[in-house]
Order: sequence, then C-alpha cells, then structure tokens
Amino acid sequence: MSAIAERRRRTELGLVIFAGLITAGAYTLASLGKNSVIPPRILPFLALLLGVLVGAHVVMRKLAPGADSTLLPLAILLNGLGYVMIARLSDRLAGLQTTWTFVGVAAFALTLIVVRRVNDLVRFKWIFFAVGAGLLLLPVVPGLGFSSGGARIWVSVGPINFQPGEFAKLALALFFAAYLAESRELISRGTWQVGRFLLPEPRDLLPLLGAWGFSVVLMVGQKDLGSSLLFFTLFVVMVWVATEKASFMALGLAMFATSATIAYFLFDHVQTRVSIWLDPWRSYSGKGYQIAQSMFALGSGGMGGTGLGLGDPTRIPEAKNDFIFAAIGEELGLFGATAILIAFLLIIGAGLRTAMRAKRDFAKLLAVGLTTIIGVQAFIIIGGVIRVVPLTGITLPFVSYGGSSLVANYVLLALLLRISDNTAKRLGETPDQMSVAERFEAARARRASRRSTTRSSS
Amino acid sequence: MNARISRLAIALLILYVVLFAQLNIIQVGKRSSLEADARNNRQTVRDFNEPRGDIVTSDGVVIARNEPSDDEFDWQRVYPEGDTYTPITGYFTFGFGATGVEKVANDVLAGRTTEQQITGLASLFDGGDTSGSVEVTIDSRIQEAAKAALGEREGSVVVVEPSTGAVKAMYSWPTYDTNIVATHDASLASDVFEYLDAMPGKPLLANAYQERYMPGSTFKIITTAAALDAGFITLDTTWAEESEFLPPQTDNPIGNYGGKVCGGNLVEVFRRSCNTPFARTAIALGPEVMVTAAERFGIGETIPFDLPAPASSYFGDVDYFEQNLPLLGIGGFGQGNTSMVPLHMALIAAAVANNGVMMKPYVIAETRDHDGRLLRRTAPTTWRTVMTPTTATTLRDLMVEVVRNGTARCCLQLANGIQAAAKTGTAQLNAAGEPESSHAWVVAFAPAEAPRYAIVVMLKGTTAEISAGTGGTLAGPIAKTVLDRALAL
Repeated sequence: MSAIAERRRRTELGLVIFAGLITAGAYTLASLGKNSVIPPRILPFLALLLGVLVGAHVVMRKLAPGADSTLLPLAILLNGLGYVMIARLSDRLAGLQTTWTFVGVAAFALTLIVVRRVNDLVRFKWIFFAVGAGLLLLPVVPGLGFSSGGARIWVSVGPINFQPGEFAKLALALFFAAYLAESRELISRGTWQVGRFLLPEPRDLLPLLGAWGFSVVLMVGQKDLGSSLLFFTLFVVMVWVATEKASFMALGLAMFATSATIAYFLFDHVQTRVSIWLDPWRSYSGKGYQIAQSMFALGSGGMGGTGLGLGDPTRIPEAKNDFIFAAIGEELGLFGATAILIAFLLIIGAGLRTAMRAKRDFAKLLAVGLTTIIGVQAFIIIGGVIRVVPLTGITLPFVSYGGSSLVANYVLLALLLRISDNTAKRLGETPDQMSVAERFEAARARRASRRSTTRSSS
Repeated sequence: MNARISRLAIALLILYVVLFAQLNIIQVGKRSSLEADARNNRQTVRDFNEPRGDIVTSDGVVIARNEPSDDEFDWQRVYPEGDTYTPITGYFTFGFGATGVEKVANDVLAGRTTEQQITGLASLFDGGDTSGSVEVTIDSRIQEAAKAALGEREGSVVVVEPSTGAVKAMYSWPTYDTNIVATHDASLASDVFEYLDAMPGKPLLANAYQERYMPGSTFKIITTAAALDAGFITLDTTWAEESEFLPPQTDNPIGNYGGKVCGGNLVEVFRRSCNTPFARTAIALGPEVMVTAAERFGIGETIPFDLPAPASSYFGDVDYFEQNLPLLGIGGFGQGNTSMVPLHMALIAAAVANNGVMMKPYVIAETRDHDGRLLRRTAPTTWRTVMTPTTATTLRDLMVEVVRNGTARCCLQLANGIQAAAKTGTAQLNAAGEPESSHAWVVAFAPAEAPRYAIVVMLKGTTAEISAGTGGTLAGPIAKTVLDRALAL
C-alpha cells in the first residue's frame, strides 16, 4: 500500500474507533439512564460493534485503500447513534436493527467487491433505468404493494417486506449519471429561442418531462411526497450540474411547484400535510399530534438534552423511524441534534469533494447524485420533523430504523467510496491493482518482449 | 462542472443552516412556552416515574411520600394523614398540576435543583436518586388539635409563632383527602375535581390563606393601633355611653352589637367591644390616616407567604371613603367592605405579641437532599413593622383585659393559669330585617407576657348555630383547646 493510502486508512481507523467509542458510551449511558444499570448485554454488544468496525475497516484496506477516510466513520457514527436510540425505544427493534446493520455492512463489502471500477457501470445504464423505474412503480402493483402510514411505498414478497424506493433512488442516480455523462454536451449545446429566452431544445426536455412524470406518479399513486420530492430534486440537480444551465433548474423547479400546487388543491393528504406544517396545534388531537409531540420532545430537550434514557421519546409516534431526529433532539438536546446535522454536512462535504476530484463525467455526476440523495433526504425528513418544510414520511439515512434504508445507504456509501478510490488511482496516489485480464495481458507482453530481446541478441 | 458542484455545496450548506436556526428557535427560544403548554405532560410523566422526596412535619410525621406503584407509573404519591394536611402539602396529581408545598417545593422534591443535580452526579451508580425532602414548620400535635377542635364546622384555624412567622398549624374545613385526587386514574380525578369545585365552602381553596372574610371586631386592633400611633387617643380617652351614633353624610345611624348602650374609657370599650367609639375614631382620624394605617398592616398587599396563591386583605381607598364616611366608620370596626384573610389576622395578633413587628409567614422550614444534607433553611424575616412597641404593649394589655373581663372571658381561660390575650369578632353579614348571619372570629396569643403562639379561629356564618353565637362563645373554645395543646408541648 502506498504512503497516502496507508495514511488515509490509519486516519479512518482512528475515526472509526472514535465513532465506536461514542456508540458504546452512548449505549451504556442510555441503559444507565433508563434502568440505572450497566446494560446486561454490553459484552455481546461490544463484540458485535467491534466486529462491524474491524470488518468495515478490513474491507476498506483490501478493496478501496485510496478512498476518502471520513465517509465510513461518519456513517458508522450515525448508524451507531441511531441504533442506541432504537435500542432505547424498543428491545425487539434493536435486535432487528443489529441484523440489518450486518446485512448493510455485508452489502457494503459486496458492492466494493463487485464494482472494481465505477465506470464499468456505465454500460448497464438502461438496466438501471428499468430496475429503478420498476422498483419505484412496484408498490402500485395490486397484490404486491401495500400502504403503511398513509403512503403506499411497501412491497411484500412472501415473508419479506421492503421499501423498493430506497433502492430505486440508487438505480436512478446511476442511470441519470450515465445518461447525462453521455449526452450532456449535446443537451447543453442545443438551444431553443422563445422570444428573448434561450431554452433547451424540446428534444432535450423530454427526459426532464419523463422525470417529472415519475414524480407525479409517486405523488399521486403512492401518496409518497417525500420520495417524489427527493427523486425530482435529484434529477434537477444532476441535470443542472451536468449541463451547467440554470434554465433547467428554473424549469424543473417551476414544474415541481406547479404539480405540487395542483396536488395541494386536488388531494386531501397534501392539504393535511401543509396545514399541520403551518399549525400543528390546531389539530393537536388529530393529524397534528405527531408534530406537536415532536415539538414538545425538542422543547423538553433544550440545549443539553434530558440525557440518554432519561427523556420520554416513546410519546412521539414513529420515534424509531421518521421522527428519530426528534428523539435525539430530546435526549441529546440542541448539541446532539446539531452534531447529527454536522455529520450530514461532513458527508455532503466529503461526497462533493469526491465529485470534484473525479475525472470522468460519469463518476463525477454519480458522486453528485449520491451525495444529493443523502443530503436532501436528511434535509427533507429533519426539516419535516422540526417544521421547516411540510412533513413527508421518509427515513433519516443511517439513523432511522429499517432494513431497506440501511442496506441501500450502505450500498450508496460503497459506491461513493469506490469513486473516491478510483480517483485516487487515476491521480496516481495509489498504485492501480491490475485485473486478471490485465495481468494476463502484461505477462504476455513481457514474454513477447523477452522473446524479441533474445532474438536480437542471437 | 466543478463550479456547479461548489454552488451545490453552498446551497446544501444553507439548507442545513436553516435547520440549525430552526432547532435553536425550538429548543432554546420556544422551550419555556412548549414546556408550559398544558397539553405537554412529559414533565409530569417523568415526575411520576422518578422518585420524589417526603414532606415531614417539624416533629417528624411524614405527611407526603412516594410508594412504589405497579400501574403505568413507577410511583404513587401517598398522603398518610388523609385530609389533615391538605392546605399544607397540597396535591401532586397526574394531569391536574400541583398545589401547596408539592408545587412550590417541586424542584427540591423531584431533585431538580442545581445543587441536587451536582451532588447526584456522584450517586450515578447507585440508581441516581436525587430527590429531596421538605420539612415544614407545622407541628403535627397542634395541627391534629386544630382539626379536632374545629370539627365539621366551616372555618379556619391558623397558629403562628410570633417571633418568627413560622406557621405551626393551618387547617380549614370543608376539606378533602388529597389521596383521592392523587390517583393515576385521570377520569376519576377529573370527576372528583369537578365535584369538589361545585361544592359550597370552596374546599379546593385553602380557606385559611386563599380566601378573605369580613373580620368584625377583630379589626378594632388595627383601628386602635392607628389611633394610638397617631396620638389621637390614649388609655384615658373616654367615650360617651350611647347605643348609636349618626355619622356625617347619612341619616342611618351606626349601632352597637345587639343595640346595647356602650361607652367608657379605652379599656372598657375595647373589652366590651363597643362599636360606636371605633366608628367615631375611624371617622375622626379620616380616610387618609385610616387607609395609611391599613396599608401599614399589609392590607391590600398579597401576603408574602411561601405557599401558592395567597390572597390579600381589603380595606378600601381614600377617595372612596371621602365620599362614604359612614362606611369608613363601619370599616373601623371591621364591617362593611372590610375583609381579612384568616392567616393575616393571625399575623396581626402575632405582631402585637412581637412588639409591633409582623414577620413573614412561612411553612417550609428546611429542605434536604437525598443524603440528608441541608439545602436551604428558611431564615425568619420581617414583613412590616406595623406599630410602635409602646402601642403594642398597650394593645396587649387591652387584649389581656378582653380575656379577663371582656368578650372572651367565657372561653379563653387557658390551662395551668396561663394568661392569654385576645380579641373577638362577630361579623354581621345580614342587613337589617334579614335572618341573622355572622362570622365568628377570635384572634389571640399566649402566654401574654412571653408570647409563644398566636392563633386565629374563624367560623363562617353559614349555619344557624354559628350565626346565633359570637366570636367569644364559638371561636373562643376552639382557640383555647388548640392553645392549651400547643402550650403543653
């Protein structure tokens, strides 16, 4: 391993251990706070935690030695704090979340094993499109999808329930990146003059219309406002970055605003969301109860929080899931909640730094897309919980309870790290490891050159 | 593309700054209003799941404590003495707030003061119980005596220590058992509150310090002190024998109790409790002097008590009395619009006993943390100096005379020959021609030479039995029983 890679992995190990210590400490404090005892399962917990940390670190050393050193520790910190909160809310869910964390880390490793060069993915772009669109629309299929908590975003296959939307956003980010990397020059060059305005050519607007259509389907068919917003923002941001044309951004926002306004007047659930956002107190005993409880929780947390295990977050409906941020705000206070915000900002920073360093358009755009997913998704749900935007049910990446979300986000993280590692190789920071085919090719070249040398000497 | 990515980074940063700003608004800015929201019972739920300290009397009787509960909460608040200490402890309920010591000392009981939190850090590993206890000034033996003596008659009994203002007993009837409202069954508690709220006699209010009543002749202590301090009368001042007196601005004369002919020197009119001399004195002193004197006694001011929501006594203002001099005359002997809080009357008797210095009343003697370390001890403080020591001595002599030869002679002869000083009051509530209705009052202190206790007994004129009697005959025996018990300690 090169010196740079060694340094990065050592930094990462230090940070990972730090995140682990914070998690272990928080776990112990939560148990002390709640039951006044050292957690009875502290040893198995520490063993599992150590397993995850060492496993993830070894995977990084072997598979992506040159990658960014902060992304994995940040994800582990968020996952750890989320786990502590979930364990504090429900023993049963804690067990399941443990399993999901293992599956997530395994998926993380698997992604790094399978995807050695991120550019190899470009050729599957239409498959990603099909998979993404299919997954997004799956919950609408009768008999397969079902509603929970108002949104029809679940799919049930045999005994397994999952939210395909969590994976769809990955597939679509991959598709968008591939599509835009290929045609961004074309799109940005073409103009269509309408009066004094220069607009993209109608042909290039079609994908935008397609994406908008998807978001409308999500909003209407699944009542899933959060995913609809996330998905459309993802697309608009990627088009804007790829084409460097603000008109796309403006057009996209205008389209979304229009459809959201129409939806507001057509659908009760949209109106409800807006009215409880503006005034949750008026419908306190009804739809506004959850947000009102979230406000009470945050208020009772204050600056320093009630302390882990000492608050009363079980009173917030869905505290384990969409409202986990309010639970954290209650027990860890403004300081703890701000730490979560900063962790997401650091992930955004590391993700966008990865994007800026990346040399190939596809990798660059993919990094932008993946970072946007995490950053915007966290903003939408935190903003919903603290009444900055209307509440839309969506998970807080790495923190909320839920298998689909955790696994999808670990895959997302692996892709970001893979881009970062590939870039490090391209920049010569770490030696490129040859693939089997390349090694075979190199051996043949060496033999050929040896043969030619022998011949000349004779 | 990198320029766009930088801009994207800035845009996302701004979004997160907005989140941070909103978090500050909620968690710091709106914190207290959210905590105060009636629908927010997080604090209460927390309180019911955490230990809460005892409230004990000065002689060590536990009057409020926590017992383990096996319902949805960990603890049940229990008041072992039932309704005896209701005005003192108050209640600590789920969903209906708290009153009394439970309310004012909530932070100490729940272990939420800064000192307790800091010392609690050390005990983190033994369960982190930081709850504190409160010792009240009440003596259970005097309190029991007051309860027994008052019985089921509407009224209040308050005993204070003249030199400190410490309340040694405070009881009123009708009352209720705080255990009933401390139930975790919110709908039962709600029904009980509704029932108590509709009950006559306002049992939910601690009548002894949260209500005020017409004081009758007990108010003559104030008129006399005002006139003595103004140099307007002396012990030698005499008043003509008369049955009624016609004040200015009216054709309606002011009469003596029962229409009796009454007069003589100050000792005479005070012990016999003539009305006309005090009406004449009040009018002669004038609205200015009388109102100032009332203010000096703390009338019109909220009593600086350490229990929640104390009432204030009422006399009247200068402008009003200028226009209504007859009412000033009537006010001079405690009738008309004059109304006094029973606790306040006890403090006035105590001030006479304490050389004219009225102490601030208090029931919280001291607070201690979980390990029994002292947190706060209440230091007695002066509320007001209400009369000169000379006037206080004169008034004491006058009040002794009331017990020896006056309206309290029947009923305030204490055991072991201890001399009491007292003033009775029979506050007439009915207008002429209506059925008799009167409050019966007595204020007293004993021993007269070295006062240890001051007492007020007040019986509401809500029954024919009370209305037919006088302050001396009805309230006097109650005061005697309670003082005898207290002085035997």
